Amino acid sequence: MATVPYHRVNVLTGIKGAAILEKPEQFTKIISKAERPLLVLGPRLLEWSLDGRSVLEHALDIAKTANIPICATAHLKGKLTELEVTPDSVYDAVEIVNVLRDPDWKGVKGEGNHDLVIFFGIRSDLQNQCLSVLKHFAYKHLKTMTLDKYYFPNADFSLTNVTKDKSWKAFLEGLKSSLQTKA
Amino acid sequence: MSEKKEMKELVKELTKTQEEIRELIKAEIEWEPVGPTPMPGITDLRSWDMRLLKTYKPWYAPFCDLCCLCTYGKCDLTQDRRGACGIDIATQQARIVLLACLMGCSAHAAHAGHILEYLIDRHGPDKKIDMGTFIEVEAPNIRTVTGLKPETLADLKHAIEYVYKEIAHLLDSTHMGQEGSALDYESKALHASMLDHVGMEVADIAQIVGFNFPTSVADTPLVEMGWGSIDKSKPVILVVGHNPATSTVVVDYLRENNLEDKVEVCGICCTAIETTRYSDKAKVIGPLSRQLFFVRTGIADVIMTDEQCINTNMPEEASNVGSALIATLDKVMYGLEDASEMDTDEIIKRMTEKKEHFAILEPAKAAEVAAKVAMKLAPQRKKELLSEEEAKKLAEKCTDCGMCERVCPNLFSIGDGITEMAKGNFELMKGLFNLCIGCGKCEHECPQGVPIFRLMQAAASWETWKVRAGRGAVMDTEIRKVGAPITLGTIPGIIALVGCSNYPDIEDVAEMVDEFARRKYIVVLTGCAAMVAGMTKDKDGRTVYEKYPPDFDAGGVVNIGSCVSNAHISGAAIKIANIFASLPLRANYEVIADYVLNRVGACGVAWGAMSQKAASIGTGFNRLGVPVVLGPHSSKYRRLYLSRKEEDDWTVMDARKRELVDTGEPSPEHIAYVAETKEKAMIMIPKLCIRKNDTPQGRGIKLNHYISLYKKYTGGGLPEDLHLYIRRAADIPLVYRKEVMPYLEKIGWKPKEPVGLPTFIGTYPSKVPIDSVIH
Ligand code: SF4
Ligand code: SF4
Ligand code: SF4
Repeated sequence: MATVPYHRVNVLTGIKGAAILEKPEQFTKIISKAERPLLVLGPRLLEWSLDGRSVLEHALDIAKTANIPICATAHLKGKLTELEVTPDSVYDAVEIVNVLRDPDWKGVKGEGNHDLVIFFGIRSDLQNQCLSVLKHFAYKHLKTMTLDKYYFPNADFSLTNVTKDKSWKAFLEGLKSSLQTKA
Repeated sequence: MSEKKEMKELVKELTKTQEEIRELIKAEIEWEPVGPTPMPGITDLRSWDMRLLKTYKPWYAPFCDLCCLCTYGKCDLTQDRRGACGIDIATQQARIVLLACLMGCSAHAAHAGHILEYLIDRHGPDKKIDMGTFIEVEAPNIRTVTGLKPETLADLKHAIEYVYKEIAHLLDSTHMGQEGSALDYESKALHASMLDHVGMEVADIAQIVGFNFPTSVADTPLVEMGWGSIDKSKPVILVVGHNPATSTVVVDYLRENNLEDKVEVCGICCTAIETTRYSDKAKVIGPLSRQLFFVRTGIADVIMTDEQCINTNMPEEASNVGSALIATLDKVMYGLEDASEMDTDEIIKRMTEKKEHFAILEPAKAAEVAAKVAMKLAPQRKKELLSEEEAKKLAEKCTDCGMCERVCPNLFSIGDGITEMAKGNFELMKGLFNLCIGCGKCEHECPQGVPIFRLMQAAASWETWKVRAGRGAVMDTEIRKVGAPITLGTIPGIIALVGCSNYPDIEDVAEMVDEFARRKYIVVLTGCAAMVAGMTKDKDGRTVYEKYPPDFDAGGVVNIGSCVSNAHISGAAIKIANIFASLPLRANYEVIADYVLNRVGACGVAWGAMSQKAASIGTGFNRLGVPVVLGPHSSKYRRLYLSRKEEDDWTVMDARKRELVDTGEPSPEHIAYVAETKEKAMIMIPKLCIRKNDTPQGRGIKLNHYISLYKKYTGGGLPEDLHLYIRRAADIPLVYRKEVMPYLEKIGWKPKEPVGLPTFIGTYPSKVPIDSVIH
């Protein structure tokens, strides 16, 4: 049976579910192939922590290592400012997918729309819905990926449901180091 | 008659000619000239819709990838595939949205039709509509949409029959193989939802007139709320749903038999609000999210259901705790025996001795049975709540498997609270209870059979609160007073918190009310939102209803009433155009909606929107030009209306100068928008109250709130789109001038002329002349 998303409200009704990737290197390979990736960060990153370290900091590590621009959603910008990080753009979740679905959008850097969008830390039902927008209306010009500990059927590439914090932490740290190696 | 002939007759009946419409709306009575769209059909306001949809394009997030509506299917609609009928994924979403809006519209229209028939039976068709001394514009939605000025209950019938007819046409279009355009489906959804406001208005005017609900008064009684307010030593009757036809008769029965102080009547969802409009002795248990909890306490000796938003498993739930159940409306029969014609004593006997449930569609009989059964069952009630010790013991069964979190629609783990409870710590559970929307899925799924609801009951607060009884329509006198400050912007906005209780956190609503009332917005509420606003107290023990005045004025907190009372909120916006700006209402929807969109700083907030009724209420506000902010669950409605502020065209017509003006100002930015967090909503709401006709003083006030709320809830400097809302330096709030000026210089901001009389009319093909927007 296909993987069932951790939150059952996100169960796939259809046949086109995300490819599950397990190893950080698989993610790295896709990220480094992308010409204009974008990292969309959500407010759940403020709530999650792994061994006392905020998951937001893991996310920022990844952005920095791979030099990926950031879009801050909801009220995340304030915390980023505190951490002395200036997001490349501020849109809410539904707004960023609204512009992303337009192939002619200029992108957060004004260099053209993105070809890989990585979602991380948006409430899982909303994130899956946002991914649905792109799956249906932007599939020709971009791919989507998630780094949350849940399976998102509407993404192109997703982790599976990760039940142990230890494994998730190992994944995020592994992703950082594999991106570093690649860089 | 042959089938074909019969069909022809039906079509003839349904397709009324203009002449017939003029007859229905009594066009000869010239209270106002008949406008361009009396009783509009599907296409009459289509050009207005298309203009709205040009700026606020539909955003579709399919909830499923398939369509399974006909036997050609299932059809996979991913990656530009079309169904066997030819439909694409966007159009399919729009079709589902239309269906949802039609369900919502039908629920209210059928409620209206039922209550109207019942009240006409009781009072006769000529019963006059009198909304009290301070309300002359008695039916703003009906006047504006249909062109009819209803004077009697019979007149309301014309309005609701028009709605029925339109529903049939719209529903027809959702059949396989018809409409092929997502935008046209949207136009139809907007039409259905505008009709919903007509249906709601019919229902509530009928109720106000027929049941003598409060009207033309602001300080309606403060009624008790919370299950702690129930005197458990008395027999308890619980009413659940939306239609007060039976609950009011229960109150009558108790009054007539001197039982009002001997039997408790309490309610959940809108019937609760309606019943407290009828009797201030009735009590509100709480919103829909508290339904299963209360039912499962078994405190209710008799449960009476009517319609909409009721648990569909009520017979089993009632039996489990030994409560008796009476279904009082044909829409919800639960497979029960219809005892409407049965001898009363026999029903009572079978209900009390054999524990049978019945449907009783005759209100007087249902009321008598309910009272008598409650009195018989109450002494036998043996439903004890868990002690803390027992709760702790049961909680120990939890293995922390996480299944409850996986099925929870609010995505949180009640299991965490349960594992803490097993350790004797009840605090976490108390907090989690505020996130719980009471669906019961966790308990159903728990592999260990942990009785999660009973454990929550042990932790839940028995505190009581106050909610102001719903007051119905906003008074014309109030509109006269606030019309100018609202359109000039010096009252920064009207915030309408409405809809269901699918909240990310129940406390958000009271916080929003408090924040905006303190800032002198006008805050109005209906339905479950009106209840939960009262379920938080400040440090002095006051709810927002005790803290703020009940007037429709700056800083007022106004409980308008139930779901159907939402028509009075759209009605208030319409009345501003009419009473303050002297625009005629009669069959003049396009002009009025244009006025509201461009000049009335109002914003709806359906933070816990869940039902299809919420879909139609919200979409109806959208057609009228009122933006709506929704909570995160609402992305599952599949469709929003969003603009792209930087790229979109913000040109309006300046009606005085007859010039097109490219304002570059995205006001309002979106009309149907989902915020993920309360913090984000707190920033978006004040922004969506900005309108192009704000005076510099008004704009300064609005921007002051926008900036200060931004700083409070986000931090990190100034709003990134602030410059788009500053026309001239005079718009900048004084307190922020020092910070804003250098920012504007840095980004190369240039001043622009404000528009005198902004309107969409003249920017798109419309039959309405520009002159008609000038008052
Ligand atoms: S209605 Fe159309 S898309 Fe739906 S199942 Fe039938 S053919 Fe397929
Ligand atoms: S499903 Fe039951 S056993 Fe599992 S965590 Fe929840 S309450 Fe505990
Ligand atoms: S009853 Fe409450 S905790 Fe349980 S699944 Fe429903 S919302 Fe979640």
